[in-house]
Amino acid sequence: MNTPLNNLVIYNGYPLSIVIALVIHIMIFLTLLYLQSASEAQSLELVQPTVIKALFIDENPQLRNQQLREQRRVEQVEQQRRQEQQRQEAERLEREAQQQREAEQQRLAREQAALREREELERLRERAEREEQERLEAESQRRRQQEIAAEQERSRQQEAQRRRQQELAEASAAEAARTEFELVQSATALIQQAVQETWSRPPSARNGMRAVLQIRMLPTGEVLDAVITQSSGDPAFDRSAENALYRAAPFRELQSLPINVFNANFRSLSLIFEPEDLLN
Amino acid sequence: MNEGLNPIDLIFDASPAVQLVFLILLTLSIVSWVIIVQRWLVLSAAQKGVLSFEQRFWSGMDLSQLYKEGTQMQQEDLQIVGMENIFRAGFKEFMRLRQQSSVDGEAIMEGAQRAMRVAYSREEEKLERHLSFLATVGSVSPYIGLFGTVIGIMNSFLGLATQAQATLQVVAPGIAEALFATAIGLFAAIPAVVAYNRYSSALDNVTSSYITFSDEFSSILHRQIHSN
Repeated sequence: MNTPLNNLVIYNGYPLSIVIALVIHIMIFLTLLYLQSASEAQSLELVQPTVIKALFIDENPQLRNQQLREQRRVEQVEQQRRQEQQRQEAERLEREAQQQREAEQQRLAREQAALREREELERLRERAEREEQERLEAESQRRRQQEIAAEQERSRQQEAQRRRQQELAEASAAEAARTEFELVQSATALIQQAVQETWSRPPSARNGMRAVLQIRMLPTGEVLDAVITQSSGDPAFDRSAENALYRAAPFRELQSLPINVFNANFRSLSLIFEPEDLLN
Repeated sequence: MNEGLNPIDLIFDASPAVQLVFLILLTLSIVSWVIIVQRWLVLSAAQKGVLSFEQRFWSGMDLSQLYKEGTQMQQEDLQIVGMENIFRAGFKEFMRLRQQSSVDGEAIMEGAQRAMRVAYSREEEKLERHLSFLATVGSVSPYIGLFGTVIGIMNSFLGLATQAQATLQVVAPGIAEALFATAIGLFAAIPAVVAYNRYSSALDNVTSSYITFSDEFSSILHRQIHSN
């Protein structure tokens, strides 16, 4: 009769039974805890609408045409300058050829007349000198002209760069304004959603009713006070709007807004309540 | 706004009355499980005891030898269960009456049978102890759970009355908490009912085998009286 079972039945088996019963209940409790943690992991959260940043790259035909015109003008100037240079070069070559021809003639004349030669030579040299001087002068003038043109080109480029920078600065300022606008929009949407969720319209609500609430808020998102600036004519409707606002408050999402944005947009806000989706 | 409802929160956020109900039901559940396990041990020991003792009894062993073995076991502080107790009570009484020469055969038989009957009812009582508690838990705990549910729903409706606007979010936690009370009540009741039914049928088996044995044993004793 001394079976293992009999050993378990010591004190009528009560200690063992108590242990088993407690283990069963603790296991069930732990299962519930596990379920809780699992359900917490997937508990739904209020999804903040993402701020979509859409940069508008504008295609301004006027601006583009202007740019094209500018470019064409630059090319024209360049071409003119090149033509001028070519012309001057040709002139110089011709002049040189003429000089050579004249020197030949002079040499012939020198051979023909020895007496006349010196005078002629003198005269020729004088002329050559004068021409040389002329040529040098022309050369320097041309260089000066070139320099002036280069200067003009540089200053024009600088101007263009400055203008471009200015445009860029303007664009970034516009972008900042746009993100602020988006922040305001998303916060407004959140407030609207929260109020809409808590708003239960009275049975007396009709289409076309409109109540405007002027609310004052603190940066913490709490509502300081709300005044009905435009009554719908139905006290129940007005009251329901007010109730919805107070139950939706505080709007904690506003805490994350920069203070200047808050002051500019949410310090004082008017909410419009309209039962648009009613059938009657 | 985004609070998940889960069983643990339901228990700890409930109103005091409902929490009391939870506590009662938890206690009942634990106690009934203690009894379920303990009865299982006792009843299976009794079933095993029936088998092993019948084997020894019908092995052709001398009855006084069997009795002596039992006495030895008692001296060794081993528990003697069930059928053997009935046998010992009957045999002891039989031997005691047999040694008195003035008592006639019928009186001896009667005395032995009475002793066996007493031992039988003691054994039966041992086996069915606490089984009625399981029956009580099985039938009452759904009602206790229902009571918690009613209280919980009542509370949530009272809370609803103070609200100007009735939304589901106001009532839902209260109702969930209330339903959880019923769930715990059923959780306590179901094992208790199952165990009660199962154990009472096992008890019937064992007690009927005790009765059969005591009849057989008294017929043996009867034969012994009349053979002399």
